[in-house]
Amino acid sequence: MDNPLLNKLPIGICLVNQDYIITHLNAFFLDRMASELRDEAIGKPIGDVFPEQIKFLKRRIKSVFVLKHPSFSYWEQRPHIFPFKSSRPITGEETQMVQNMEIVPHKDPDTGQLCACILIQDVTAQASYFKAQAQLAEELKAEHEAQRKLIRKLDRAQAQLIQAEKMASTGQLAAGIAHEINNPMGFITANLNTLEQYAKHLLDACQASRDLVEIHSDTELQQQFNQIIQSNHVDLVSEDIAPLIEESKDGLKRVREIVSTLRSFAEDTQTGWGLLNLDETANQLVQLIGVQYKAPTYKVQCEPPNLKWYCESASLKQALTNVLMNAAQSITDKGLVMLSIQQRGAMLHIKILDTGCGINEKHLGRIFEPFFTTRPEGQGQGLGLSVAYTAIENHKGKMVANSKPGKGTVIEILLPALSEKQAEPQDDENSSLAASTQQPESL
Amino acid sequence: MNDAIAFTEDQRDALQELMNISMGQAANSLAHLIETKIGISIPNITAVTPEQLFEMVRHNQEAHYTRQSFMGDIHGEVMSILSQSGLAEVAELMEYEQPLSDADIKETILELCNILAGACLSGLSEQLELTTNLQMPTLFQPEKHDFNQLGWQHSLVMEVKFDIQISSFTMRVVFCLDDASLHKLTSTIDELLG
Repeated sequence: MDNPLLNKLPIGICLVNQDYIITHLNAFFLDRMASELRDEAIGKPIGDVFPEQIKFLKRRIKSVFVLKHPSFSYWEQRPHIFPFKSSRPITGEETQMVQNMEIVPHKDPDTGQLCACILIQDVTAQASYFKAQAQLAEELKAEHEAQRKLIRKLDRAQAQLIQAEKMASTGQLAAGIAHEINNPMGFITANLNTLEQYAKHLLDACQASRDLVEIHSDTELQQQFNQIIQSNHVDLVSEDIAPLIEESKDGLKRVREIVSTLRSFAEDTQTGWGLLNLDETANQLVQLIGVQYKAPTYKVQCEPPNLKWYCESASLKQALTNVLMNAAQSITDKGLVMLSIQQRGAMLHIKILDTGCGINEKHLGRIFEPFFTTRPEGQGQGLGLSVAYTAIENHKGKMVANSKPGKGTVIEILLPALSEKQAEPQDDENSSLAASTQQPESL
Repeated sequence: MNDAIAFTEDQRDALQELMNISMGQAANSLAHLIETKIGISIPNITAVTPEQLFEMVRHNQEAHYTRQSFMGDIHGEVMSILSQSGLAEVAELMEYEQPLSDADIKETILELCNILAGACLSGLSEQLELTTNLQMPTLFQPEKHDFNQLGWQHSLVMEVKFDIQISSFTMRVVFCLDDASLHKLTSTIDELLG
């Protein structure tokens, strides 16, 4: 047992007999023990020399003697079995040695006596490395989570900004164009009215001349006069001129209406919260979008009529415009776009239904993501629904999409009635209702 | 059951009997140590693919898992699946003081596995006159991908269930051997069978 090699090992070896008396300690053990204990340790009960964890040690030694098979202890559960100083007492952070222990049954070749061989491994370095790693992993995870949140916020903010910017400029542009159109519209309308009068006068004059020639003149003059009348298609002109003018006046009236809707919609600079007439807004919206997308038939319902709702009008209008625009764009040939607004108690149900191309199931979960689009590059930024989503979220509402490819799409918006106080802006992470997507149901 | 490493009827019977004896010894050792009665099931011996092994060990979410490798004439790993219920009583039998800390529970699990798996293995190797050394057990969580990445195609699984009568505690021990060790094992059994 007194092989000098044992004293060179980087492992602590301690032999204990069946009476728990220490029979051997190698240099690893002796070097780390208090000097007064060193000389007397051998021959003493292990409990006298190492009382710190004696209960545990005895239990394990007993198990080795009974089962005749090794017992292990791992630093993570029990780091310090023997009161040894760290192998790096000066530079290290650990002051006590972290240990792995193995107790193996050992039969002394000389005496044939069975004893327990306690093997101690210094794993301080591994343990502190492991701990540092674990802490690092924890920090990384937290940081990652924070970053993810931030990125999501940033994405939204960016999306909103782009859309707001776009809308502001389109709105200004629309208002400017509306103004520019109104000017010529003024004199065109006035001139058309005058022209109508003039045309009437001319036709009257023509008719009077005809009558006069018929009564008084000779045949030759009559013939020449009729030739002039015929070659200038006066009959046709006199028949056609009134409806032509009427039609033009009608057209002008329509242009005026569109321009004034556009103006009232775009020039609505009133931001912030207030009461919005949803019925009126819905009709305006459908009219505007209907000008641009003529394929679908539009239907608007508002229950009760002239419903006024407390909201941030600009963003809610924006949200509705975006959703409605998508619905209209989904129909290429024939179809229906329906916007229904219904108040049910303290909740507002807005439903935008279309019988268009529908949304692929695998895309359905992503449609509210900023910059998600299925359109070819340059034909859409993928912001419409994400902006709508944010707007609805700011109203503490919920937005759900259902779709069946080839059949159509239903977007439902649920808005709770808010009072002025509740509408205070707050962190969107805490928003009570969130958008969700569901499996498509039949439409 | 996989044909590639199927046993003959005799080999299987012999192995089952050997396992039965070693399991009995294991249960006996533990019973002696913690002074309570321990029941064991009849060992179930099958050959499985990694996927089947995962299915075997997976089906209890309310469990602790450990693994422990052994080397020597045959090498492989022992997986133990312990029920979470009844563990506190067993810890008490092993002279741990209540309330149990997290470290106490882990230590109890590791020690229990070490005792049972160690006893099974040493019993088996003793009877087959093979030498084996058990390494330190570690806790782990079985994940499917771990099993798919294993470097073997088939494994012998010897499964046995222990239950400790005074508590609801149960434990299953699964031995997994690689192909080479499997051949060694069958040839040793053949020698024994003469």
